[in-house]
Amino acid sequence: MEFIQFTWLIPLIPLLAFVIVGLFGGKFKNGLGSVAILSAIAAFVLSAIVSYEYFTGDLFAAGLAYIPEPIEWIAFGTYTLNFGIYVDSLTCVMMLFSSFISMLIFVYSIGYMGGEGKRKRRYYAEIALFLAGMLGLIVSSNYLEMFIFWEIMGVCSYLLIGFWSFKHPDGDEASVKAASAAKKAFLVTRLGDVCFMTGLFVLLWAFGSLDFTAMFDDPVGSLVNGNGTTIMIGTLLLFGGVIGKSAQFPLQDWLPDAMAGPTTVSALIHAATMVKAGVYLVARSYPLFVQNAEMMLIVAVIGGVTAFIAASMALNNMNLKRVLAYSTISQLGYMIMALGAGGYMIATEMAHGAADIDGAVGYTAGVFHMMNHAFFKALLFMCAGSVIHAVGTEDMRRMGGLGKKMKITSWTMLIGCLSIAGFPFFSGFWSKDMIMEAVMEPAVAGAASVFLFLFVLALITAFMTAFYMFRLWFMTFAGKPKDEKLHCHGESPVSMTLPLVILSVFAALSGFLMFFWLNDIITFNVIGGAFVVGGHGHEGMDILHEILYNQWTYVSLALSLFGILLAYLMYAKKAIDPARLNAGGNTRIYRALTARYYFPQLYDEIALRLGYDVAKGVDYADRNLIDGTVNGISNAMMGSSGMLRKLHSGHVQDYVAYMAVGVLAVFFVFYILIMTGGF
Amino acid sequence: MSFLADMDSLVAYLLPLAPHLILIITALIVPAIGFKSGKAAAFFSLGAGLFAIAVTAYMMYTGYKGDFEGLYMFNDFTALMIMLFLVVFCLVVLMSISDSERTKHHGEYFAILAIATVGMMLVCAAEEMISLFVGLELANIMSFALVAFKKNDPRSAEAAVKYLITSGLSTALFLYGMSLMYGFTGTIVINDIIYSLATQEITWAYAVAVTTLIAGSAFKISLIPFHAWVPDVYEGAPTPITTFLAVGAKKMGFIVFFKLFLLMFVVVHFLSAAAGEVAEIHQLQWVFALLAAGTMTVGNIVAISQNNIKRMLAYSSIAQGGYILIVLSVGTDYSMAGGLLHMITHVFMKGGAFVVVAALAARGLGESIDDYKGLAKRAPLVAFAMMLFMFSLAGIPPLAGFYSKFVLFSSAVEGGTWIWLVAVAVVNSAISLYYYARVVKAMYVDKGSTTERFRVPVSFKIALAVCAIAVIVIGIYPGPVMELCEMASFEYINGFLEWLKSSPYV
Repeated sequence: MEFIQFTWLIPLIPLLAFVIVGLFGGKFKNGLGSVAILSAIAAFVLSAIVSYEYFTGDLFAAGLAYIPEPIEWIAFGTYTLNFGIYVDSLTCVMMLFSSFISMLIFVYSIGYMGGEGKRKRRYYAEIALFLAGMLGLIVSSNYLEMFIFWEIMGVCSYLLIGFWSFKHPDGDEASVKAASAAKKAFLVTRLGDVCFMTGLFVLLWAFGSLDFTAMFDDPVGSLVNGNGTTIMIGTLLLFGGVIGKSAQFPLQDWLPDAMAGPTTVSALIHAATMVKAGVYLVARSYPLFVQNAEMMLIVAVIGGVTAFIAASMALNNMNLKRVLAYSTISQLGYMIMALGAGGYMIATEMAHGAADIDGAVGYTAGVFHMMNHAFFKALLFMCAGSVIHAVGTEDMRRMGGLGKKMKITSWTMLIGCLSIAGFPFFSGFWSKDMIMEAVMEPAVAGAASVFLFLFVLALITAFMTAFYMFRLWFMTFAGKPKDEKLHCHGESPVSMTLPLVILSVFAALSGFLMFFWLNDIITFNVIGGAFVVGGHGHEGMDILHEILYNQWTYVSLALSLFGILLAYLMYAKKAIDPARLNAGGNTRIYRALTARYYFPQLYDEIALRLGYDVAKGVDYADRNLIDGTVNGISNAMMGSSGMLRKLHSGHVQDYVAYMAVGVLAVFFVFYILIMTGGF
Repeated sequence: MSFLADMDSLVAYLLPLAPHLILIITALIVPAIGFKSGKAAAFFSLGAGLFAIAVTAYMMYTGYKGDFEGLYMFNDFTALMIMLFLVVFCLVVLMSISDSERTKHHGEYFAILAIATVGMMLVCAAEEMISLFVGLELANIMSFALVAFKKNDPRSAEAAVKYLITSGLSTALFLYGMSLMYGFTGTIVINDIIYSLATQEITWAYAVAVTTLIAGSAFKISLIPFHAWVPDVYEGAPTPITTFLAVGAKKMGFIVFFKLFLLMFVVVHFLSAAAGEVAEIHQLQWVFALLAAGTMTVGNIVAISQNNIKRMLAYSSIAQGGYILIVLSVGTDYSMAGGLLHMITHVFMKGGAFVVVAALAARGLGESIDDYKGLAKRAPLVAFAMMLFMFSLAGIPPLAGFYSKFVLFSSAVEGGTWIWLVAVAVVNSAISLYYYARVVKAMYVDKGSTTERFRVPVSFKIALAVCAIAVIVIGIYPGPVMELCEMASFEYINGFLEWLKSSPYV
């Protein structure tokens, strides 16, 4: 039996779990969490089987995707919108790690959300829907289908981030925060979604279809309307969606606020779903993105800038989860930057007429880092959750010395920190150095001096990452307890520590997969002018050679080690007093960092001024100004005839005059159009 | 025998007006029932409405097409629109069963409602200007009475007066346009008028006639700047009647637009295609595009600052009208199908939202958005349904509103001229999310002053269930409804083109 035919079941299983838990969860004590967990397990097992079949099958060997005949969802006009399945090596990698990590997070929830009582039903239903959204997005065969799942995730994240808005364990103020954070996440990512949707319309117009097959097989030749510029506009708008969803500069601000949700939700959003969707969209749309070198340059710059500023904001934050949130943004920036750099190489080579391009390091590095990041970030968040579960606060200033009481948590978290800091042979080391190489490639080739700048940014970011992650670890686990009042319940239950141990194995070792398995899977090649995903990768030994014999690897490694050392001296050994460096928190840069470079203020200003004030202004104008003008005209027109006026005390005479003015306006517009023959 | 034969021919003669006649007879009987019991009158009207839907659906299913004396016709398009109005009628009746705002005159209420619906149905079926006008006025005059039905509330009377006066002006404008049109075409048959509109040289008189016709119908659709009456009237009228105006009467204006101007653009394009020329964009299409862009923008922006939920919904329905108006600037049968689909989904999502407002008002909840705080705890199912409607109106997939908007907007993408309009529309639907999300936030996120449970009357529950199921089902599986819309619009436009080809004009 061919299981690959049943790929459509992968998102459907969690969706069913959502329906079952949503409908019947209230009747059971544990809110039917087991159904959600079983659905995640089933989705993972099925993903694994499907991936196995795909990778051992003929399609993969031929460099083709598995695309069953899609169901025609709806046809209108000349367009057909399908609901279909698209399985290639990118799909397989994505769904494997998403479902695997979600599965562990669901298990972890048993312990973490144990005290939620009746509201467990809502929680489990929503996370199941969340997973269904992500898996659906991954297996989609066209952009519209993808967009639908994309939006489902958006709504779910809104509900989950606001989960504690009714009654936050930390009190009322936190509840309000949770509510506003949820709204912010929803509205900000929605800004990206608008771009995405407009992009859909542009692409639909340009290609006459939104199916990946139609668009990717021959991305220029099949154009119905438009040209390279249209694709550029379309992809730029798609990238706008990515900026919103993956929290890239300048829309990065919602992600730290989204920490108001339960930690499991943060883990889910940061590691397995949601923010990864944006990176996935770029990787998925590579055939369109690489049509234009400038486009890829924009992508790379946005990624690099995001990586840098997010890392800098993490330097002095005191909230355990927020530091992790900034690190996610920063790491996402890395991925986007790598994808941009790789695409830039392909785009320039294609512009020079190359029909065969053997792989893009940037693509491989970006997707590889996305996978590794999923493991170590899930691990870090779940460790943080374990700590918060034990001590009931997120403020690192009150922690310290927890290492002795929570052995498993502290050791697994150390592995996560080493991995994200790029300590040799942990997973983050391999993928980060591949990214460095990918960014260096166009810079060395003299393709653009911009990449040299990005490379420097990436190096500094690597240093900052190591520093703030170890600052976090030392502040939490090392030294002596700082707050005597803080009570620690000790190590968390097995349902929470078991996922930690499993994930720590992956966070430590997943990088090695690149040398004997992933090297032939996460690749993007151009063969005879056609795009091929998967296959034709570099030999594992070559990659190892490249990384180990590159002097820049050692530069970034040295910077990371220096970061760890600095953190050790400042927060564990206390040899350097942090207060001396920042004048007790009064330097301008320290304040700017605490205020997140004033981004939230900027947003509020823009939102208030442009949004609410304009609305009020228009409303005022609608009621008074226009009415007033109209009044004047109507007075002139009607003279002193007060008959209409006396009829009623309201504004009805204004309304009538309003309409009269409207008639005149329509008439004149029409007449001008006639005179000038249209626009 | 001859009696039976006469009966047969009588039935065949009246068949094109079958749904109308059902409602007219209902309107004659209902007052009598109303004397006995208001509830019975309501149930009788509901039954009649459902029966009329069944009859229309059956006639459409059998592919029946007919014509009554060259005045009214029955085809797929009219059948679809008649069903739409009948669904609105049934929804409004359901909402009115336990309406506490109405104290007496139950029988008359339902009779007037039925007659107003007949008026709207006549507009769908009209084949010449006079019968169209009769339909419009029938619906209008009945609406005045309905708006004023909240006898104890001065706001209701005020709204009715405002509605009467502004509506009077719009009627006058429309009639003026009609008579001018008759002046230089010499006919009142719509098909002939369309042809001469499309081919005539544009003169002052022509421009005046077209402008006044547009203005007269724009009042119904509440396009900017003909919208000023909407918030006041929607706020003041009894909520079921607000629903009736927002999701029903509004559509009447669109049908007039479809009948006159959409077909006119079709003729223009057909003739230039026949002459082997590239079709040019007609100037009026630009006028409609500007009206559409202005309407959606002003409607959405002003809605943001509204605190009364009925006013907010009023502005939101102004904005939704702007979306549908895109059809007129694009002027293809696909866009018309998209427009019809959006009109249908709008019935359920906006109607549903008003049902929620009415259901809660029936249990004494206020109309301010602040009153909705903590509703998720007090009435979980109602809050959930409201969330569905809000998200559907905002166009969040996979709900009906997303789908119909998508079809509508993507039909405008074809050809490339109107991409800017699509961009405006997409940005607008993003803005709209802000105020829709506000309601959801109030219900789900904010804390209410009490957690006392609501008991919503059964009739409202049924109406809510119907709307919520429609919003979900059309969103997930829009195929059948979309096919109906495509069939209706295709048949409508093609039927017209065939008439044109067989007419002496070509």
